[in-house]
Amino acid sequence: MTNTTTTASRASGAEKSVASSTSPARSLDPAALLAAMRAVGITHVITVPDTHQRTLLALLAQTDDPKLITVCTEDEAIGINAGLYIGGARPMLLIQNNGLYACLNTLKAIPLDARVPTFMLIGEHGRDVALPSRENPDLSVRMLEPTLELWKVPFFRLENEMDLSNFERGYKRCQEQGGPLAVLVAAPTGAAASQTNRMEGRT
Amino acid sequence: MMRRNEAIAALAAGRDGAISVTAMQAIAAWHAAGQGATDNLDALGCMGSASSLGLGIALARPERNVMVLDGDGCLLMQLGTLVTIAAHAPRNFYHFIFENGRYETSGNQLLPGFGRYDLCRMALAAGYRQALSLQDVGELKNALPGILGAPGPALICLGIAPDEPAPRWPSVTMNEQIQALRARLPLERRQGAKA
Repeated sequence: MTNTTTTASRASGAEKSVASSTSPARSLDPAALLAAMRAVGITHVITVPDTHQRTLLALLAQTDDPKLITVCTEDEAIGINAGLYIGGARPMLLIQNNGLYACLNTLKAIPLDARVPTFMLIGEHGRDVALPSRENPDLSVRMLEPTLELWKVPFFRLENEMDLSNFERGYKRCQEQGGPLAVLVAAPTGAAASQTNRMEGRT
Repeated sequence: MMRRNEAIAALAAGRDGAISVTAMQAIAAWHAAGQGATDNLDALGCMGSASSLGLGIALARPERNVMVLDGDGCLLMQLGTLVTIAAHAPRNFYHFIFENGRYETSGNQLLPGFGRYDLCRMALAAGYRQALSLQDVGELKNALPGILGAPGPALICLGIAPDEPAPRWPSVTMNEQIQALRARLPLERRQGAKA
């Protein structure tokens, strides 16, 4: 079974949903995501660790390109992101859906009110990829898109390898327009190295 | 204990070119002391985030000292920041806490547990390189050059007498301050300047 009808790939929370033309993967390639970070010149990845992206975090822990900054809360992550941006760095956040809910006031103040570019890779922790995000039984999953829309946080989707270009597209748009922008990671990142040369399409 | 404005005046006199990040009740007084216009960021609408903003700047610009003018209620709101700051241990990070045991902005309500905890001991236990408590403005004036001359991260608790909430400072927006900082800092880097 594939889902091609309700998985959104949105440039703005206010824009009409556009159905993804591809099928969700069972797992995503962490090496490909690391390469995408390097391709746009990310200098720092600030994280409250996300179960969904643990293998990507393991890769990041082995390199200084980009530097991994682990923090205690997503509030801190947003503040540090802004400070690094002020100092001329090119940071981003790696968090999970529950973390977004935890930091809404800081999201309001720094990325939204102050228009600080805040690029967030958000894992859909608890997502059943057989179901569209909004139809998942887990409240943490199905409220993610509505929450982003409510706060007018634009987002793109990363459902499979066909969506990898959304990383660069989203990052550039975030830098150009200022404010927050999220890329939602549907499936867990898979095993690194030999098993990650390609992403598995759902069958 | 000292008055807030006395502490602000001492910090302004000893700033020595540091980038400042201010929070809550320190904002208006810092501007009134002529310190808000250059290399300053007011943490508006994000209580508890001043230290994280300062940490990011300190990590990106290790050649510049960063002074965070924070409140005790702000620190308690995101207390984990002590651990995060200590973990990354920026030698140019100086964290001043205006400690009056109150939520002054919302009407001087007491902080939970005030008098039972010790923020300096918490900071040292988290891994800060320096932590000290100063109750007198003369002490602050004397100690400040040594504090800023030694490696951070440092936490300095300033015993502040309860006061009336400061008037809301009609400052520029955070976005304007951030863009001004970004415009100045890369220029200084190219010129190799150190404040």
